[in-house]
Amino acid sequence: MKTRLGLFHFLFLIFILPMLSGCWDQVSIDKRAYVVALGLDKGEDNKISITYLIANPEFSKQEGPSSEPAHEVITFPANDIISAKNTANAVIAKEITYNMLNVLIVSEDLAKDPEFIRYMYDVTKDREIKRNIPMIVTKEKVKTFLLKNKPKLETRIHKYFEFVLENSNKAGLTPNFKLHSYFSITESDAGLFLAPYATTEQIPGGKYTVGEDELLAGELKIEGEESNNSQFLGSAVFKEGKMIGTMNGEETRLTIVLNETLEMGEIYATYPDPFSPQYRFSARIMKREKNDVKINLNGYTPTIDVTVPLYMDILSIHSMETFDNGKIEQLKFHIEEEVQKKLSKLIKRTQEEFKGEAFGWSLIARKKFWTSHDFEKFDWMKTYPNMKVNVSVNVYIGTFGEQSKLPDLNQVRD
Amino acid sequence: MVDTIYHSLSLTHSNLQFLYITLYFGGTIRKNMELYIFLEKMRVKRFFKKLLKEEHPPFEKAATEDDLLKKKQIDSSLADTMELFKKIYYVPNNSDVNIRYIEIGGIKKNAAVITISSISNTKLIEELVIRPLLINEDESKEIELLLSPQVRKADVIEDILVEINNGNTTLFVDGEPYAYIISSGNFQGRSVEKAENEVVVKGPKESFNEQAMTNISLIRKRIRDEKLIVESTTISKRAKNELYLVYIKDIANEELITNIKNKLNSLDIDSIQNLSVLEEYLEDHIYSLFPTILYTERPDRASEFIEDGFIVLLMDNSPDSLILPATFWSFFHNSEDHYLRFLFGNFIRILRLMALFITLFISAIYIAITNYHVEMIPADLLLAISSTREIVPFPSLVEILMLEIAFELIREGGLRVPKPIGPTIGIVGALILGQAAVQANLVSPLVVIIVALGGLSSFAIGDTNLNYTVRLLRFPFLISAGVFGLFGLTALFTICLLYVTSIKSFGVPYLAPMTPNDSTAKDTIFRRLVKNELFRPGYLKPKDIEKKAGE
Repeated sequence: MKTRLGLFHFLFLIFILPMLSGCWDQVSIDKRAYVVALGLDKGEDNKISITYLIANPEFSKQEGPSSEPAHEVITFPANDIISAKNTANAVIAKEITYNMLNVLIVSEDLAKDPEFIRYMYDVTKDREIKRNIPMIVTKEKVKTFLLKNKPKLETRIHKYFEFVLENSNKAGLTPNFKLHSYFSITESDAGLFLAPYATTEQIPGGKYTVGEDELLAGELKIEGEESNNSQFLGSAVFKEGKMIGTMNGEETRLTIVLNETLEMGEIYATYPDPFSPQYRFSARIMKREKNDVKINLNGYTPTIDVTVPLYMDILSIHSMETFDNGKIEQLKFHIEEEVQKKLSKLIKRTQEEFKGEAFGWSLIARKKFWTSHDFEKFDWMKTYPNMKVNVSVNVYIGTFGEQSKLPDLNQVRD
Repeated sequence: MVDTIYHSLSLTHSNLQFLYITLYFGGTIRKNMELYIFLEKMRVKRFFKKLLKEEHPPFEKAATEDDLLKKKQIDSSLADTMELFKKIYYVPNNSDVNIRYIEIGGIKKNAAVITISSISNTKLIEELVIRPLLINEDESKEIELLLSPQVRKADVIEDILVEINNGNTTLFVDGEPYAYIISSGNFQGRSVEKAENEVVVKGPKESFNEQAMTNISLIRKRIRDEKLIVESTTISKRAKNELYLVYIKDIANEELITNIKNKLNSLDIDSIQNLSVLEEYLEDHIYSLFPTILYTERPDRASEFIEDGFIVLLMDNSPDSLILPATFWSFFHNSEDHYLRFLFGNFIRILRLMALFITLFISAIYIAITNYHVEMIPADLLLAISSTREIVPFPSLVEILMLEIAFELIREGGLRVPKPIGPTIGIVGALILGQAAVQANLVSPLVVIIVALGGLSSFAIGDTNLNYTVRLLRFPFLISAGVFGLFGLTALFTICLLYVTSIKSFGVPYLAPMTPNDSTAKDTIFRRLVKNELFRPGYLKPKDIEKKAGE
């Protein structure tokens, strides 16, 4: 009898347990509106203007897209991104959620505002926002960007952002920093944060450059039948949480080469041909080994010696030259010199213009200090512009494409 | 008997607390309560007195008279004896009880043969008992010498009755105060057939049938050991059901055997028809979801366990055996694990483990994730689920419960359906559940996949008992996931684990040898190479722990 009574008590307790906690947190999957992209613009007074890009689940149905649009864009003024969720419900029927937030987009105008960092820290307060999403900076207002950005093929908009950033990252044209790095870099106060730079506004006629990547978003001339005109190219440079400038595609690529914390994929780039300067040859560049960074903080002027090992496959050679051993050696020196020049130029720019480095060297330098307090006292950000940075490049030339030998043009034309 | 029922009734007066509360508002609590209980006691007492008087004529008394008669020895007069047996067997009302009067040749004595024709071999009786007696011409020969089969003598009526009931032939000779008994029992039954529930692809296919002797023979065929003991005990009072305990004397733990025997001896029941019923009498945790006695129809599996020091119970009318004690692993394993090559055997073990977890958790995880942890789902799937769920009128918990119950219904229906119309059930079930339900917007397509996957996975768990355990456990998991999300799921799983580690089967912890850890037999999730299985399971405390495989 006692055990049975005990059992009754136990069951009773189990039944009242849900009342203590309960399922109040529960929201059905189909009763939420999923914000895919969250845009921040400068608003009036202290307010910001928030733009939501909300995906339409209807579009993911197997029976094929219905007549409904794939997504919806709304813009409204708000105090912060968290209270904005409720404000949006004046228009949007379902409960707004940031669970599916794929990208945070900020206009250049707002990013350059000293107040910007205040709004960014709202992100750390909302538990629905993942910090592994990228932050994009747009040249124009985000509202315009999202309204004008109409990818022709990727109508499912969350896929579009995922793919376009993934592949421009792979090509090295945009940096692969995530939102989390914005906070960690800003808080460590020792480096620059880079965000992908994008725009839908093309400079009329585009901009001519010798190379293929010395461009910023909007400067590339793209033509086609009403092609999507948003470009992701280059990066926005943030110092202490505030945007201070931009880097073009080439500089972004070089930063990726120098920064060990950024993953480098296979980059295709062109260089002037040393034997017939009117042509450029293209190369596939990979990094098989890590950079060798030696930091010496003992002297009056701290020095950083960086050796960058690069592996290159030489692909298109318009001079139709077939390289023998001697020429390969020459080619190697030529490329090393070329890359070294570019790297030095970039480093100089960061020292003089940005007054901070985006190469993750502060992480290596930290190891030279006994306590983090020592490091803070050293003030890496302040010291960096006066440091002496020596860069050397080590190129290893691999193959010459699938077919290494080219026909002798003179013989062909004969 | 009256006393016990009366006693149990008085126990339930705690149930009257409801009444207690109502009386509370009436005023004098105690007195009313006591009065009520007193009246209730009187009512029950009267009821049982009446019941015994009316429904049961004094049958117990008759039984005792009968018993006294049966204890007697038989008379030397054939006529008297036959009269007595006719009365006992209600001849001629009892049609298959045969009494045949003969005159033995040579000796010239009257004799009678009693057999029950339906359970004895009549041809054998004819040729080996009756014919030699009839054609005898030698006057001096004794009757035992006339008969070719081995002959036993019995003189107590009770003993003779047992022999007749077992299909043996009894010969009564005029002037002799005992009966000759010739074995001729021949019960009808199936022959040895293929195992139907525990199917293997590689390995022996034989299964037990309803005759205990055949089953013992199947085990003895596998273990040719003089130490293999088949002990028999009668476990029921009226039907006199025989139970056979099979074990190896110098391996099985003595304490375990006495423990089981004590439990068997304490049974006080009229009839236990088969092992499936006996299982409930023997189990310690009757209300538990987890089975503690293994039930198998495969003689190879039973012999394997006997050789490890387990005890096997066999019974007539049961096409299977009970193996005790049983651990969780014995339910989880399958005989094919060891018949297949090492890697393949372990592969199916992994599959089974996966099936176990999928069956238990898949629908619960779906509920938890779609209701509480949406961020866990990849964006595309999330939108797909969201779009298909939009038009479903029920919350996802109701939706999945509906489909789970429908699946269980189809399963139960399909099991009981007569064979000729069986195949249609599958088609109709699949059609109704899958296509039509989705088209009618009753359920979303993903839920069909999830329930079907969970349902199909449950078939990979071969043991009937564990199968039911897992299928039933799914529902508490579902509800806890629906109420608390993944937190509820993990909490309930932890409670389940705690419970499982606490239960014991005949003194053996349920999860042994995994916990408590036992270094002897490591056959848990994965099996080891057969040559490395050097020891018998230590948790059984066998007399001989070494398998002597290394020598």
